[in-house]
Amino acid sequence: MILACVTQAIAFCGFYVGGADAKLFNKASQVVIARNGDRTILTMANDFQGAVKDFAMIVPVPVAIKREQVHVGKRSTIDKLDAFSQPRLVEYFDPDPCAPVMSDRMEQSASMPRSAAPQQSKIKSKADLGVTVEDRFKVKEYEIVILSAKESNGLETWLRRSGYNIPKGASELLSPYIKQKLKFFVAKIDIEELNKTGSKILRPIQIAYSSPKFMLPIRLGMINSRGEQDLVIYMLSPKGQVELTNYRTVKVPTGNAIPEYVKSEFGSFYKATFQKVYEREQKKVAFLEYAWNVSNCDPCASEPPTSTELKDAGVFWEDNGESMPTNSSIRRRSMSSGNTFITRIHVRYTRDKFPEDLMFQETGNQENFQGRYVMNHPFKGDFTCDAGKKYQQTLRPRLEKEASNLANLTGWSIRDINSKIDFPNAPQKSDTNNQFWKNIWNDK
Amino acid sequence: MFEDPRDYQIGFLATFLGLGIMTRDWSIKPELIFTLVSTCCLTQLVLTSLSKPTENPFPALKSALITSLGLALLLRADRVSTMILAGVLAIASKFIFTANGKHWFNPANFGIIIALILTPDAWISPGQWGDDWWYLLLFIGMGGIVLKRVGRGDTSVAFFATYALLEVSRNIWLGWTWDVSVHKLMSGSLLLFTLFMITDPRSIPNDRSARIIWSISIAGLAFILRNYFYINEAIFIALFTISPLTILFDKLWLAPRFDWKSIQLSGSKT
Repeated sequence: MILACVTQAIAFCGFYVGGADAKLFNKASQVVIARNGDRTILTMANDFQGAVKDFAMIVPVPVAIKREQVHVGKRSTIDKLDAFSQPRLVEYFDPDPCAPVMSDRMEQSASMPRSAAPQQSKIKSKADLGVTVEDRFKVKEYEIVILSAKESNGLETWLRRSGYNIPKGASELLSPYIKQKLKFFVAKIDIEELNKTGSKILRPIQIAYSSPKFMLPIRLGMINSRGEQDLVIYMLSPKGQVELTNYRTVKVPTGNAIPEYVKSEFGSFYKATFQKVYEREQKKVAFLEYAWNVSNCDPCASEPPTSTELKDAGVFWEDNGESMPTNSSIRRRSMSSGNTFITRIHVRYTRDKFPEDLMFQETGNQENFQGRYVMNHPFKGDFTCDAGKKYQQTLRPRLEKEASNLANLTGWSIRDINSKIDFPNAPQKSDTNNQFWKNIWNDK
Repeated sequence: MFEDPRDYQIGFLATFLGLGIMTRDWSIKPELIFTLVSTCCLTQLVLTSLSKPTENPFPALKSALITSLGLALLLRADRVSTMILAGVLAIASKFIFTANGKHWFNPANFGIIIALILTPDAWISPGQWGDDWWYLLLFIGMGGIVLKRVGRGDTSVAFFATYALLEVSRNIWLGWTWDVSVHKLMSGSLLLFTLFMITDPRSIPNDRSARIIWSISIAGLAFILRNYFYINEAIFIALFTISPLTILFDKLWLAPRFDWKSIQLSGSKT
């Protein structure tokens, strides 16, 4: 059984995973940033939990945004990227040691959760106070106002008067953005329009703009500082990996062999693993969960995104695309032309550990990485041959090793772990070498 | 023990590299470090023997080693060929762009910029060190020793003070809290640059006031490039741009040229 893939590395990071229990990381936002040079398409997905009429968000953007630069995307696109890049569980089955054959291998990824909800504040519109309404328009269910302001108190007042529930302290935080001449992209929901879609879920909103600023403002989202917030960023670039320039980007642990029972609780496994590593890194780094060319994967947590799905996610450079001829005998998917590299970065931030907004850079780093955990199912059956007995002897230490890996990764108690592992109950052979007395005092 | 201050530098840079690899899980790979070291040393040997056939080429290897370690610490690349290019050109720059025994460019800096310009796969990782305090202490402590040994700490001080002043003032003006400024200035890459790259006596002005003006200009340019043009490699580009002025400054301010040997002769007590 060996690692079909995986770039070995000391690693960290993490994010969603989870069989049944999706929503592993509440308060999580998902953002897709497709960027080539200065051109950027930013997709923000909201997992807004409250009443839709209360929904509003305010996002500082580097340039004024016009109607045609805003688009409402599909939720499924983000789910697709999520599923494709999620930390994965890979399983292998030990062959029957007594039946010399090819190994049988199977991969399976744990299903994935979802998340979402970037910076939020509350807003509406009206009045004027050194605040310029650069533009105001509707895109599907979103009502959007683009604002620029001269000073933050004016902006705060304007937002309040317009019915947005700006949290206290907002003006202090708005001020740096105003001084840097950023505009404010303010969105709320037109409920009638939303009802027309028949959906209760807010679709992701996409903004296209051109700016050398490659950053994600997280400070505003911390105004009502609700403690730790999770943000998963899918970076799409024709160049290679994207990394943070003002925080460390650390890989999540990967490649560890873990006990088979974890399969049914992979979600809580990954959650605990992420937490552990997050604490170990003193809660102040960003984690790399996945980095790969989107045209392939190994093992695949889900089929790679098609070129249509990539376009939906904002990839604008692949276009004249080699939508591969729909040769139905091969497969009907139109593959990406291989010009897109995805980087999945998971940031869990708090006000004290992440004082600055996140700044990024594209790099030429084409190294593949994935958060991947390996499960080897022991062969169950009768061992009649010598090889079978030998196999049984090696099995126990292996399972113990897996248990200790699991304990190290998650911080779970080794006793609990051991109690869930089905250790081979053939006491005879396992430790013969060390426990020499068992040769003569066979029972007790 | 270390009679030649370059030995200190080699020791420190190698220590940082080791620390970084062990505790920071960088993307730098051993084969790339090996490539850099061997390329730089080989280029140095070849070019020294060609340009000064009578001279023993081996002592100059120390400088080549320092350059290669500096490159390994700061430059990242996907391909071996990129590292070779950076290494060869870094060392070659010392032979090509030279005047009065001084270099127009800091060789490692030259290698970095050239790799960034000419290849698609080179990058630098300003965030890679994080902002841990103990790294700061280690950097400053060890860097301080080197500076004393080399006797040109004024460039570091002038550069860092100017850069910090500009950043802090800007943050105050913007209304960010103090921790934003601190976080910006605690960057390991910035400190590494301040302590090791901008102090190379062969590529900085000889006269003290010239050095200070030179350092302040680099800080100013770096600040502008960083904050108004959003260039992540701002400090390196600033040094690259201002560095050739060293030759001009040396003409304007006449002062004795730096020579590693004079330091060695003055004894070594630490």
